[in-house]
Parts: sequence; structure tokens; C-alpha cells
Amino acid sequence: MSTETEPCCATPTQPCCATPNLGLTCGALLLRLWLAVRAIQTGMEKYAGTSVSDQPVKMDGSANAYGLSTASSVKEYAMSHYHGVPAGLMDKFKAEPLMHSYSLGSFTLDPLKIYDVVLGPTLLVLGVMLLLGIATRTSLFLQGLLYISLTWGLILIKQDDGVSWLGGHLVLIVMALALADHNRFAILKKW
Amino acid sequence: MNQPISSLSRRDFLSKTVTGVGAGMVLGAPTILRAAEAGSSDKIHVALCGMGKQGRVLFEAMSNIPGLHFQAVCDIWDYNRQGGVAKVKALQGHVPKAYSDIDEMLATEKGLDAVIVATPDFWHSPHTVKCLEAGLNVYCEKMMSNTIDGARAMVKAMEKSGKLCQIGHQRRSNPRYRFVLDQLINGNKICGQIVNINAQWNRAVNSSRDIAFSPKLTIKQDILEKYGFKNMQQFMNWRTFRDLSGGPISDLGAHQIDIFNWFLGATPKAVFASGGRDFFKEREHFDNVMAIFDYDTPQGGVRAFYQVLTTTSAGGGYWESFMGTEGNIKMSEQTAFTTLFREDSAPSWDPLVERGFLKKKAAVPKPAASSGGAIASYESKPPEGFELPGDLPMIKLASGYSPKPPHQPHLENFFAAVASQGAVKLNCDARHAFLSEAPIYYVNPSALSHQPIQFTPEQLSV
Repeated sequence: MSTETEPCCATPTQPCCATPNLGLTCGALLLRLWLAVRAIQTGMEKYAGTSVSDQPVKMDGSANAYGLSTASSVKEYAMSHYHGVPAGLMDKFKAEPLMHSYSLGSFTLDPLKIYDVVLGPTLLVLGVMLLLGIATRTSLFLQGLLYISLTWGLILIKQDDGVSWLGGHLVLIVMALALADHNRFAILKKW
Repeated sequence: MNQPISSLSRRDFLSKTVTGVGAGMVLGAPTILRAAEAGSSDKIHVALCGMGKQGRVLFEAMSNIPGLHFQAVCDIWDYNRQGGVAKVKALQGHVPKAYSDIDEMLATEKGLDAVIVATPDFWHSPHTVKCLEAGLNVYCEKMMSNTIDGARAMVKAMEKSGKLCQIGHQRRSNPRYRFVLDQLINGNKICGQIVNINAQWNRAVNSSRDIAFSPKLTIKQDILEKYGFKNMQQFMNWRTFRDLSGGPISDLGAHQIDIFNWFLGATPKAVFASGGRDFFKEREHFDNVMAIFDYDTPQGGVRAFYQVLTTTSAGGGYWESFMGTEGNIKMSEQTAFTTLFREDSAPSWDPLVERGFLKKKAAVPKPAASSGGAIASYESKPPEGFELPGDLPMIKLASGYSPKPPHQPHLENFFAAVASQGAVKLNCDARHAFLSEAPIYYVNPSALSHQPIQFTPEQLSV
């Protein structure tokens, strides 16, 4: 009888302590999936660009002799298209005094440039970690920090709609962390 | 098959321009092409004379053309000269020679093939003549000169030297304009009889104000005077002074009035103009000008109305409208301002759509009649709208994809002519430009005297 009332594991943080609840498990998985998809696709879009091709206008079935053409554009993904921070926002950030670069002897540290380079890959890595369930709590926490950093930038350039939008993301991350005990289908459950 | 946009090699450039033979744009010269592939020594060596606003526009367009080597930059203003040098260095990786005086440049530089003249209008003729006499080919911005005699001197110098002299009426090389003239107006006669032309360039006050300058950048007074300017204000705003330019009618109007003459294949027999200093009251030139040109063409009389307003942008920017008994072609360098309309009584244009010569525009809903049948019975049926089937090709720039700059085809034509030593024909050499520009020199006199001017053959000839 006594064994039935004892904790099932030594520490209350271990997943087996959570009371099995199909609804909460589904909630945890849905949140994990949403946040993963959000991060992965946002990261991929950093590599999106447009390829434009010209087609000579055909007259009487053959290419016209005047050089008239019609252009069509196709969206494509390529490393060469990479842009971490959108160009429009980048110009605004550059005008911000808190975004200036620092001279360390012969080395110049430009935090904005570094952020621009790492933003896309970071979103992709954290998104994939979340999707596969690799250290879910850690990846959620890091993703939360990333969204806070984005929020700070948008506060600087007075993009209040974006701040609210990212605030919503942060609420979802907190909810996902709260449901982490009910997380299933994870490759690395630790952390 | 779609062609991905990429940087053109010199070989591509020449072969593509030569492909335009069928359009009458250029003529091929295989021996020249083989020589052109030989190496960098075969590049066309170019000097840039005048690196102000228009000089920079031309340079940006030329920077897309392969096979050019910018050897020297000349401008009397340090600011423009240094800016030009920096742009050339950024493009080709080494610093061109810089000069403040064209005579020094011409005496010093060896191996030049061509000079791009984009100096103020009153310097066009002296600079162009000097370069032609020095044995160089010249691309000179329009208006040819601030005086008709200056323009005449350019034609004579071109013909005496045997060198090439292209005038910057860039619409003459624009594929859209060439197609419209060859295929729609002359080939398929979609306008029927052209009975009227209407054109305008209306520009807002803010785009027409005097150009300000930093006192720190002021040119020394003796240098200003040496080059014909009373002071820095006049140097910066030479377009508004009578002795230095033709004012808005030549500055903006020359491009479009050139198209009247080119499309009609005729020069006007008279002009009657009106103008005033309606807003910029201190200026020497009129800020608003309206002119009516009378033409006799083989088809009949044509009146061409042109207005240049530098005080309002109302009326939809800049365009030329060729109005005929069967259709109207409203053209502009801006694709957005271009529309073709078929009169209800004209033969259907559907066969032209099927052949790829036109595209049909979405029908505009007819407004509900509010004035009753009595007035409606006098109204014409709304014409059907069409578009041109294509545009200038796209090019890839560092900043992304963009339509080829409007000046580029005209510069390509010039350099193809230089590379082929004249085998490729210029689309607007000085003589043809003169025929087109000559009537424009009489607009301001007509407006000043409030009198129509009937042209004599002597007035419009070299």
C-alpha cells in the first residue's frame, strides 16, 4: 500500500512525475510544433530572393527585333540571397546610436553586422532542435532570448506593432515551457 | 525560352546589338567583332566631360555596358570631379586622370576614342567641336546648344571631321519608341491619319526650385568667370539663365518635340508660343511655356501642342499623345503613362493582339450616364484600351533587378557605332538632331514677342 503513495521518481523535475494527461501532451506538442515551424520558416525566408528572367516578346511567332521583353520573377532560396536583417530595417538600425560599432585596437566589433549574420542560422538551428525535441527546454529558452533581442531592436526603431507581435511569441514560449513536463516524442529529453 | 539576367560580356553586348540589324538599329561588322574579342587593349577609351547630375546619369547607364575604359574625368568643380573619379574607381578599380580644363585634357590624353559631353548647354557646342576637331567621337547631351548657331557649328564639325557625334535624344534608341513608329504607326497604321499631337512635361514646384550649395564648396570667382559663370548661384542653376540655356522648353521639351518630328517625319512650318514667369518671378526664363507647332505632312495638317510647366505636376507627368482618326498612342518613357486607344469606328485591333503586337487592357467600367440622353448623344463611345507588349529588358544591379536605364540603349548605339567605326549607324547624329531641334530655338522668341513665327527653309537648315 505504501508504495502506491510514494513519488515515482527521485526528483520532481523528472518527466515521469507529470500526471499523464493526453490533453496537456497534445497542447505541448502543438505549441512545440508551432514554434518550430515559425522559427524554421522565418530562418529559411532569410535565404529567399527573387530570380528575374527576361523573355523576348514574340511577334508573329518569333522573337521581336526591337529588344522588347517581358520579365517574370520567381522566388527562390539560395545562400547568395541571405539577408539577416531586412534592408529597410537595417538602415534604421544603423542610424541608432546604440547600434554603433566598437573599435578594439585594430579590430572593429560591429554587433549589428554579427547579428545580421547569425540571425538566420540561429532561427533554423533552434527551430530544428524544437521540432526534433532536442533539449526542448533549452531550445525554448534560447528562442525566448532571441525574440527578446528582436523585441529590443524593434523598440529602438519604434515598431510597436512588431513589439506586440513578438510579445505574443514570448507568451507561447512560456506556455510551452510550462507544458514541458508533458512533452513527448523527443530525441533528447534531458535539458 | 526565358533568359536569366546576367552581366553582359563585351562579346554578348556587341553580338546582341548587332542582332538588332533587322530593326535598323545597327549594322553588323564581323571583322570589328573579331577584333573586339582580342583583349583589353581593344576597349573603347572614354573621357567624361562634365560630371554633374546628367553626367552621373549617363555614367550609371554606361557602367552597365561592357568594353568601356573610362580614362579621364573633366569638370571645373572639385566636388563633381572628385565624385566622378571615385565612381570610376569603384567601377573599374583604378583611378582615372582628372582634369579641370578640357583643353588640357585633350592636349594630354592619348588614345582616347570618345568623349561624353554633359556640360551646361552653352558649353555643348564649344566642347563638342573641340573634341571632334581633336579626332574624337562625341556623345553630347541635348539640347545641342543654347543657340541655333552653336548647333549648326556642331553639325559642320561632325561632317568636316568625319567623326561620330550622337546627340542625347535617348528616345530615338528606345525599343518601345522604335517599335511604335515602325510597326504600329507606319507598319499597321493603327492611328489612321494623325491629326493632332499633345504632349507635356509637368513638374512640381519642389522639383524645379533652385539647387542649393554649400558655401564651403564654392568655386573660386576667377575660375567661375573663366568658364562663363557670374557666380556660384549661376553655376548651380545655369538652366534658368537666358545666356546659358534655352530654359524649360529646351531642357525638358526638346526630348518630346524631337519625337513629334521623328514620328511625323517632318519639321513644322510654324510655331506660336506663350510663356510666363508665373511662380519663379525672378528667373530669366519662363517657368511655364505652351507652344503650338503646325505641320504639313503627306497625310494632311497636324497641330502639335506642347506644354512644359515647372510649377505643377498636375496632369500626369510627362508623355506624348499621337491622336489619329482611328486610334491614339499615348507614349512615355514611363511605361505606366503609356496607353493606346482604339476609336470605336476603327477596324478591330484583335488581330494585332493575336500576333503579339499589342496587349489588351482590362476594360474600364463605363460611368453611369447622369446628364441624360440629350448630351449623351453628342458623346463618343469610350475607346478600347491597349498596352505595348513589352518593355526594356531587365538588368541585374548590385541593388537588385531593374529595367535597363532609358539612356543605356542610346549609349549602346553610340559605342556600337564607335566600335564598328561607323558601320553601325547612329540613331540620332548631330544632323538629324539639328533638324529636330531647330524649331525649338524659336519657341522662346515667339513667346516673348507674342507672335507666331513662320519658318523659312534657312531658319531650319544648317
